Amino acid sequence: MTDTRRRAVSLAARYLLLAAAAVVMVYPFLYMLSTSLKSRSMSLTDPTSLWPTDPTLDNYTTVLGSENFARYFLNSAAVAIVSTTLIVLLSAMMAYAFARLDWPGKRFFFTMIIVGLTIPTMMLIIPQFLLARDLHLLNSLPGLVPFYVGTALAFNTFLLAGFFEQIPFELDEAMAIDGAGPWRRFWSLAMPLSKPAIGTCVIFAFLGTWDEFAWALTVLNDVDNRTLPIAIALFQGQHSTSWGLVFAASIIAIVPVLIVYIVFQRNFVAGLTTGALKS
Amino acid sequence: MLPGFALYALIMLYPAVQTMLLSFRDWQIIPGTPSPWVGLDNYIRAFQDPVFVNSLVNAAAYTAFTVPLQIVIGLALAVLLDAKLPGRVAFRVLFYLPVVTSWVVVSLLFQYIFQSDDGLANHVVVDMLGLSSDNVSWFQNRWTGMFAIGVLGIWKGIGWAMLIFLAALTAVPQELKEAASLDGAGAFQRFRHVSLPAIRGALAVVFILLFIGGFNVFISVLLMTGGGPGNATQVPLTYMYQQAFKFLDFGYGSAISFSLTALVLALSALQYWWTRRRMAA
Amino acid sequence: MKHWKSGAAAFVAIASISVAGCSSSSEPTSSATDGSGDTLTGTVTYWHAYSADSPEVSTLEDTIIPAFEKLHPGVTVQDVPVPYDELHQKLVTAAAGEQLPDLVRADIGWVPELANLGVLEPLSDSMSDFQTLADQVYPGTLATNLWKGTYYGLPLDTNTRVTLYNADFFEKAGVQVPTTVDQLVAAAPALKAAGAYAFADNGAGGWNMLPWIWSAGGDITDPDVTKATGYLNSAASVKGVQTLVDLYNNGYMPDIILGGDGGLATSDGLATDKYATILDGPWMYPIFASQYPDFTVSASQVPAGDGGSISVVGGEDIVLTKQSQNKDAAMEFMRYLLSEDAQLAMAAVGQMPVLADLGSQLTDINPYYAQFVEQLQTAKPRPVTPAWTQIDTILQDEIRASFRGEKTVQEALDEAASQADALLAQYN
Repeated sequence: MTDTRRRAVSLAARYLLLAAAAVVMVYPFLYMLSTSLKSRSMSLTDPTSLWPTDPTLDNYTTVLGSENFARYFLNSAAVAIVSTTLIVLLSAMMAYAFARLDWPGKRFFFTMIIVGLTIPTMMLIIPQFLLARDLHLLNSLPGLVPFYVGTALAFNTFLLAGFFEQIPFELDEAMAIDGAGPWRRFWSLAMPLSKPAIGTCVIFAFLGTWDEFAWALTVLNDVDNRTLPIAIALFQGQHSTSWGLVFAASIIAIVPVLIVYIVFQRNFVAGLTTGALKS
Repeated sequence: MLPGFALYALIMLYPAVQTMLLSFRDWQIIPGTPSPWVGLDNYIRAFQDPVFVNSLVNAAAYTAFTVPLQIVIGLALAVLLDAKLPGRVAFRVLFYLPVVTSWVVVSLLFQYIFQSDDGLANHVVVDMLGLSSDNVSWFQNRWTGMFAIGVLGIWKGIGWAMLIFLAALTAVPQELKEAASLDGAGAFQRFRHVSLPAIRGALAVVFILLFIGGFNVFISVLLMTGGGPGNATQVPLTYMYQQAFKFLDFGYGSAISFSLTALVLALSALQYWWTRRRMAA
Repeated sequence: MKHWKSGAAAFVAIASISVAGCSSSSEPTSSATDGSGDTLTGTVTYWHAYSADSPEVSTLEDTIIPAFEKLHPGVTVQDVPVPYDELHQKLVTAAAGEQLPDLVRADIGWVPELANLGVLEPLSDSMSDFQTLADQVYPGTLATNLWKGTYYGLPLDTNTRVTLYNADFFEKAGVQVPTTVDQLVAAAPALKAAGAYAFADNGAGGWNMLPWIWSAGGDITDPDVTKATGYLNSAASVKGVQTLVDLYNNGYMPDIILGGDGGLATSDGLATDKYATILDGPWMYPIFASQYPDFTVSASQVPAGDGGSISVVGGEDIVLTKQSQNKDAAMEFMRYLLSEDAQLAMAAVGQMPVLADLGSQLTDINPYYAQFVEQLQTAKPRPVTPAWTQIDTILQDEIRASFRGEKTVQEALDEAASQADALLAQYN
């Protein structure tokens, strides 16, 4: 077998594998899409019949035309963007301190982070509610941010610390010899070298805050202040649900998440690492 | 570092301590109502409660089933998509779709797939594979129900694991891979000797996070079986939710959640320490 | 709340606070209160779980609230729609944080629980015209608000389950529509031959099983809701459940009764002739009309047994919280919600009124209400106790065990009754 043929065969095999996996992964999503194009969708139909008989965009126009939908969308976007920025910044700093610096009490604090990872947040909802009340953060959109950031820090710090540890220590030492303090090493070494990891953090943090439902529902009362997941949940009735509407709204809600994903997964290209390692 | 940790302590640790304190009480939610101190009673009750013990077993089984498969499949997809491949962004998006689709929606969908009469799962198991002659009533039995919930967990988690692995793989210098390729190393060997050592850290992180996540499985169980039939598919968090928010027994609910936390913490610490040692070796 | 003669307006807000709750002159409905002499001011917050994708929320927000605000220009009603599945959790958290709204449209099962927590205003003590309002509603719906001798709410809307079937299907199968349990059992083989399960239901809790238990002459607890043994496991109760278990064992009922939500929903099965009869509520009519336009649903009373034809009452109550800062205005809004205008407006979008003398007007709005109005004459509420959520869970688990053949019905109900006794004892 010549080299080129071998290459072609391996490429074909790759595509076959990927395509097979893609079908399985995408199928339920297609079902959601097809239901969102059906007009009679209070009862879900057999998932094997994917193509709607009379496809219609009615559900999308109803969702987009419903009162305040645009407002909820913007509310969610504002909260998610601010929270994501803070989450990534703060957890990157914390992760750096844990992974690259030596300081007294580090082990204890890191253990506290792991503890936070394992505590089910649902159980914290009443103490957190009382805290939010005492801090006057109930019923306000900006009031969501500290809670979203605080809750997401453990996960993202842990994730980033794992990546920061991979940066060869020689690089740090080289920069330290050049007189760079920890702050500079963080900004001009760790952050650029960990672009893929930071990208991952952005993607997860955005998804987490954009989708958050239980806390937002518990603390927000003003109809104008609500976020998108609450609006979507309200399409589910007590006795029946227009799944077409729910699914159409869900699909609209997925779009920003996918945009963030597509933009930030571009960071996943071997950038500085290669050159930096060589030197 | 400091502002981050201060916020974290305020938002997470402080409420956590409060919750822990109420696990030692017969806590009444209304302010001003006396909540008698009961010491360890709630914990003793939990470990004598067959439903709670079974829920731990279910969560352990779920974790054992879902974590390895998410890692293996997620890693395989990441390796395939790490190479320069036309259309890889499209594939990356397709595999990530389950992660972004809401739990409510996917749980519903999987209920339909696993429905007892003529769902897709029975179509595959009975008609295509011939593993069973009768349609399986997936949600009527403990292990078939847990299996269905596990399949959903894997399906939803693969893209998540893939993303972290992709990020880790990108950090592997292309030159190393190419050098290995010139040496005539096969794809698998290249992966084993070049990529795998470089992503050990990510592997440990993914493993720990999935492990913790597995024991904390909640929404899918709540929406798909509600813990039934007769508590058979109950997991610690659905049971906690039922006790605390449905029956208003918050003392017991928080004892359940802290028992779980302690257990998961001990197991994670063990693993973390173990993987660290292996990495250092 | 108070009927002020014009000219008394000078008293304004101060008066309305100081006289709160102790006025003896009262009007049953707000329609008599003329706007000019109105002293009510402030904001009334109101949490509810009306469906946002149906006309329920829009009727409330575009018809009822504006009409009320027109009568009381000083009052603003701020309603907060909450998804039904999450309302209970939100209420519990808000109660712990003392952040409850003024008014809540609560599931009838939550009222004793909230009353027991001490967060509800005892209306029969503090609302001067409570009795007048109470006399206008169905007694079965009023009973859901009673906890330890005091009423903590007023019924807002009601419903019950009746038998739904497809008349064409019965005709084709050559079977008479069963009106008694015995007829249903006798018709099952013929219905099966025609391709349908005789009856289908998707749960085994009180909502599902009580019509069969009551119609068989059984019960859940004693009248004072203090114990279940001797009632829930009586011969009559066992007989009611046994009828269904036998139907299931003979293949005349689908396994969706065991839960899991995987199978065909009862309504879909009915519309596609897979299930011959189901029990369901008035909300199904609009759903059938939009999902199965070619299908005509018919209704009859719950199949009668030794105890008659007795169904279960569903619906919502409206409650006022103790921490409400604006009880006068809130009570006035409660009165308005119970007025004929508001009740009929909600009836048009599928919410059955609680006013007993609206019966004939109801069938003008929707003819299908007739069977429900008739069934409501005898329908009973689930036992009114804060322990009901837990008892309901136990009941469902135990009865399902008997469907799966793990226990006899008698064993299952004995066990459920003894566990229920322990729970009920906590509240006596």
